[in-house]
Amino acid sequence: MSEREHRWTMVIDLDRCTGCQACVVACSVENNIPVVGEDEVRMGRAMHWIRIERYWEGEYPNVRARFIPVICQQCERAPCEPVCPVFATYHSEVEHVNIQVYNRCIGTRYCANNCPYIARVFNWFDPQFPEPLNEQLNPDVTVRRRGIMEKCTFCIQRIRRAEEMAEAERRPLGDGDVQPACVQSCPAEALVFGDVADPNSRVAKLVRSRRAFRLLEELGTEPNVIYLKGGEAHVG
Amino acid sequence: MEMLAKQDGSVIRLALLDDVDLAAENIVMLRELGVEDRDITVLSGIPYPEPVLGRPMTWERLPLIALSGAAVGFLIGVFLNAVTPLLYPIRVGGQPYIAIPPALVLTYEFTMMGLIVSTFLGVLWESTFPSFGPKYYHPRISEGYIGILFKAPKERLDEIVKMFHARGVQEIVEPEEWSL
Amino acid sequence: MSADATALVQPKEEWRKRLLLDPRPAEEMNHMVLKAMTTFGWRYWVVVGILALLALIGLGGAWGYQVLVGMGVAGIRRPVFWGVYIANFVFWIGISHSGTFISAILRVFKAEFRRPITRASELMTTFALIVAGMYPLIHLGRTWRFYWMIPYPNQRQLWPNFHSPLMWDMIAIFTYLIGSTLYLYLPLIPDLAMARDHARGWRHRLYRFLALGWRGTEAEWHHLKRAITIFAFAIIPVMFSVHTIVSWDFGMTMVPGWHSTIFGPYFVAGAIFSGVSAVVTVLLIVRKTMKLDYFLREEHFDALGKLVLVFSFVWTYFFFADYLTEWYGGEAVAKELLTLQARGPVAPLWYLMLTTNILIPWFTLWNKRIRTSPPALFLITLGVNVGMYLERYIIVAGYLTRNRLPFDWGAYNPSPVELLISLGSLSTFVLLYAVASRLIPLVPVWEVQEGQFVHSLRRVGRILVPSVSELE
Repeated sequence: MSEREHRWTMVIDLDRCTGCQACVVACSVENNIPVVGEDEVRMGRAMHWIRIERYWEGEYPNVRARFIPVICQQCERAPCEPVCPVFATYHSEVEHVNIQVYNRCIGTRYCANNCPYIARVFNWFDPQFPEPLNEQLNPDVTVRRRGIMEKCTFCIQRIRRAEEMAEAERRPLGDGDVQPACVQSCPAEALVFGDVADPNSRVAKLVRSRRAFRLLEELGTEPNVIYLKGGEAHVG
Repeated sequence: MEMLAKQDGSVIRLALLDDVDLAAENIVMLRELGVEDRDITVLSGIPYPEPVLGRPMTWERLPLIALSGAAVGFLIGVFLNAVTPLLYPIRVGGQPYIAIPPALVLTYEFTMMGLIVSTFLGVLWESTFPSFGPKYYHPRISEGYIGILFKAPKERLDEIVKMFHARGVQEIVEPEEWSL
Repeated sequence: MSADATALVQPKEEWRKRLLLDPRPAEEMNHMVLKAMTTFGWRYWVVVGILALLALIGLGGAWGYQVLVGMGVAGIRRPVFWGVYIANFVFWIGISHSGTFISAILRVFKAEFRRPITRASELMTTFALIVAGMYPLIHLGRTWRFYWMIPYPNQRQLWPNFHSPLMWDMIAIFTYLIGSTLYLYLPLIPDLAMARDHARGWRHRLYRFLALGWRGTEAEWHHLKRAITIFAFAIIPVMFSVHTIVSWDFGMTMVPGWHSTIFGPYFVAGAIFSGVSAVVTVLLIVRKTMKLDYFLREEHFDALGKLVLVFSFVWTYFFFADYLTEWYGGEAVAKELLTLQARGPVAPLWYLMLTTNILIPWFTLWNKRIRTSPPALFLITLGVNVGMYLERYIIVAGYLTRNRLPFDWGAYNPSPVELLISLGSLSTFVLLYAVASRLIPLVPVWEVQEGQFVHSLRRVGRILVPSVSELE
């Protein structure tokens, strides 16, 4: 495994996002996210780790939709971490990712309240994978039982696998070797993932863009998800 | 006092009074007749501070016990806040492993817990509780009577009883040992 | 005093209305207290039966169902991850401030009216804490893993996170529970000895065991009084810390409306406000059902009524300070919270809270006739606790419906399971209190007798006035 410190970052280009929800589906499939059914979704208990927020701009008839995909922002100074009494969520100082340890979680839901991005979802019931969904469970990702908090992991299993592959092939980890499921599936290429510690990576260049900003930056949480906005995008 | 009673030829009596001034007078009388303070025990249903009855102050270590307990609690608090985070260091929210502001809260709570628990244990220790007897007692104590339990040499008993009677105290009984 | 002098200065009739100036023989007083403890009407058993049934349904049935099926049976949902369980928790912690306040603070300041009511309010403290302590467990997604929060060397080699306010909470509540239980028990020992001397059968065995062999020697009294003093001084800061830490569960977060420096004193004031009101409510019931009119008199309710009024002022002050700061804050989401309260879904609750916590106490309790009227006082103090419950509900479940991302605003309604558990815990509290009221002397007889001993009427010129001799 490479000893180099990584700083995994996702760049989300709001000017490109069409709100197609492909990332939501890909994420659910990759991370064994249970399907909770219509009633529960209506109650606000959808388990998706990505949420495409839709905001309307302007007055009818000159209305346009803006989409903001929101995931766990992998904050450097995450408000969710210190409030957990059992260290179920903490900051990985190697990956610069906010880690959720399912086995440690006792379900106080304090972290979820304290997340200003409302990025966390809770297993209100034991997960159900009705036929044929059980056929496509991802063996690399554990299934979470009831009473446990979960959230976007930046597909940590894919990061690990890419690192192991690179090591097996005795080569450094290249830009683009790690692709979370959402990034891989985005048809508009609105999502870009990489390591900003590598100054030549695509994300390292994008985060220097004049269009770059962070969500709720004023809170001082120092997210590792960077949004781009500023160009014109006409949708709807 | 109660242990020694039967061997050295002295007798034990319990005078029951319902007036605190009378009790104070009679304790002076007992002392004048040669009964020492350590051979007198006052039983009462409500607390009378020792000076009220002219009795020596009870020796006690309760504040010391309480403070020692608080010190132990403080050390437990310090251990939990300053040592355990280093046994398995985990970084949360960009905060240092050992952070003083949160540590103050818990150290305070543990100190108070030590203080409270040790005060309670101190009362038990100082009063040798629980001790269910058999001990000299009379159920009228809890009905507002003041009991003066005293040990006197056999030959002086008549004189003492006479003095009690002279002061209007009629009830001087041979106390029973009660399983409390 | 010569005969004609006493004829000149007749004691005013109203002094006889005061418990401490109306002494009765100790024997008679003991008898009154013991009789109240051992009298069971059929109504008592009916009430106990219903309470036990409700407690069983709520805590055995509904909670059991929730543990087996999942937290989803509650109404909480994203973004309202905390609901009535936490509101109940804060509420019961608030009720638990009654005993300590009445007993410890009034003891430290030698407020004599406290004497007959300390035990009854300390008992509330202990039982309210037990009920409050259940809520964090009820609220946990994996209740069966609660012990992972306890700091002990374990096979997982993992200690709890002491940065988390929930850890402070757990330790503080535990400290307070131990402290208030021992503080209830210590002054109880002489009264248990009194009960021991009079009881037969299983009661005798129980009181004998609990009285620890108390005889009332000078040394025993000395140590007990000393310990009570240490406890009174130690438990006051613990009491303040407990509700402060409960408020810090909210204050240490980034949640809009919760992140407030004033939450500590605001919650403490609210807790004492609701706690003292609950003492009045409970004492009125106790006096009526246990026939303790000799001990619990107009003067006590008058004094407690004044306390309720004072704490209504204090609570209002903090409430307004918090509100005004939010109002001037200017943050968009803070404005939303104010709109939520003034015109949003929680508006009816908010206005009801303002009515029961401010309007009604302010416009009634200044009047002595109302303060000494049991039905009026019962309704007013019950109203205060309804209002204080709504305050907690709005802060927990109301504020969480709004956040900085309007797309994620939500709604929350308690589910039947949550309501059953809440009802079950309320029943548990009343049940524990009803059972304990028949097991332990509910009036601290020795403290009343001590009070009567030190109180006397002293002649000043041509009148007799009550005076207290300070023996210590």
